[in-house]
Amino acid sequence: MSAPVAEVEGLTKSFGGVPAVDHLSFALHGGEIAGFLGPNGAGKSTTLRLLLGLAAPTSGTARVFGRRYADLDEPTRSVGAVLEFADFHPNRTGRNHVRVLALSSGIDEHRVAEVLELVDLSAVADRKVGGYSLGMRQRLGLATALLGDPKLLILDEPINGLDPAGVHWLRAFLRRFADGGGAVLVSSHVLAEVEQSVDRVLIINQGRLLADQSMTEIARDGGSLEQTYLAITQAVAL
Amino acid sequence: MIRQLRSETAKVTTTTTIVGLLAALAGLVVLAIVVHTYALPDERLAAGDGQRELLTDIGISLGGLFAALIGALSITAEFRTGTIRPTVLATPRRARVIAAKALVSAGTGALAVIVSVVTASVAAQVTLSIRGLASTPTAGDYVELLAGGAIAGGLLGVIGLAVGAIIRAQVPTFVALFIWLLFIENVLVELPDAHRFVPGALAQGITGLNREGVLQDVWPAALLLCVYAAGALLVSVDATRRRDIA
Ligand SMILES: Nc1ncnc2c1ncn2[C@@H]1O[C@H](COP(=O)(O)OP(=O)(O)OP(=O)(O)O)[C@@H](O)[C@H]1O
Ligand SMILES: [Mg+2]
Repeated sequence: MSAPVAEVEGLTKSFGGVPAVDHLSFALHGGEIAGFLGPNGAGKSTTLRLLLGLAAPTSGTARVFGRRYADLDEPTRSVGAVLEFADFHPNRTGRNHVRVLALSSGIDEHRVAEVLELVDLSAVADRKVGGYSLGMRQRLGLATALLGDPKLLILDEPINGLDPAGVHWLRAFLRRFADGGGAVLVSSHVLAEVEQSVDRVLIINQGRLLADQSMTEIARDGGSLEQTYLAITQAVAL
Repeated sequence: MIRQLRSETAKVTTTTTIVGLLAALAGLVVLAIVVHTYALPDERLAAGDGQRELLTDIGISLGGLFAALIGALSITAEFRTGTIRPTVLATPRRARVIAAKALVSAGTGALAVIVSVVTASVAAQVTLSIRGLASTPTAGDYVELLAGGAIAGGLLGVIGLAVGAIIRAQVPTFVALFIWLLFIENVLVELPDAHRFVPGALAQGITGLNREGVLQDVWPAALLLCVYAAGALLVSVDATRRRDIA
């Protein structure tokens, strides 16, 4: 099999001595869409932040394309990310938000317009983000993630606030992206949507990996993703 | 680095924050000048360097304060709104982000002091002429105020950025800068031997202010303020690299 696109090994992150991510290991390959599931506070967002170099692990490693994120030469051209919070200056227009990031990655104006069109924001791109709806902000986050035409997408609850058309679009987009060789790690609580859009699920709780199964395996066992998820996470809780 | 500099420049020009702050600064300067030119006795304003001192006390000090605030804002606003995350995702070498911000903060700091000095000079001309007093500063005085003020404002902008990068939270950063520049430095006026080495007094010294408790040599004052700015910047780069971004 080809080298993993994202790989965590023995990844541990503690806050004040309490582990949020606890000796977590998994690998993700090109062409794969992996759903990253787990209860609130399970450590999903923390894991994604460690992969992106926003936080430093207490121990273990988190690598993308074989390197620490911070050591990538052109990170936005390899990895695109949408994090859990809407990270915008309310006083800046959507277009300028994308442009500011494009400038620091040496990406041209043409591509800025292209990604705004791709997420269907062209019409409102010159309005201040402070006036955007939740779904519009989510789309703007996706536009910035796609700016560098990355090969790995790291998405933290991206369908939060998206309208049905947006969810449908994202599902189709991610499928095309993976078919083109891209890899996606997407956290979500919306299991019905996850079931339709991912190839594989990673389920964690209290920072530890509970399950790593393909959707085919789950379907073969006869249950829905929801039944499997609840069985796995509740078995631990009891 | 050039890319990051372009990005940081675009950040400043794509919100109205800086225009608003400079307008507030100009308004405060006009208010302070009007109050002082009416309140001070004739002999303070007519004699010697009285008017020039007034321009320094108001133009340089208020301008310097705003230079530091604008510098601080360039990083605290990113932490407040969360844009720091996409910023460091695009440029994970965080030292580069801080370096680009330092250059931009030097520019905006110089601009703040220039706006402040020009506004103070114009306001003083107008109010003095209404009061029937002649304007005493020479062209050379204005050159010293503007050139020295631009250097001082640039360096105070860098110091403000560094403080902001270390504290991160916007309100505590602003409170720290206010307490230092408006309160502690004023208390230290009573100790001239210490006061001449504080950043605000060095900023006045760079413009050639001739007063006890202010370093009277322009270049040593500039050099010392440079050392402070460089030191603060190094600490802030280290702190930014070391700590997680929430
Ligand atoms: N900066 C931080 N300081 C202290 N504790 C933190 C910090 N970040 C996360 N935690 C803790 O780490 C644990 C995991 O949080 P995380 O945000 O990764 O969960 P999550 O799986 O993304 O949850 P959710 O589904 O609610 O988004 C939680 O207990 C949280 O309180
Ligand atoms: Mg989360």
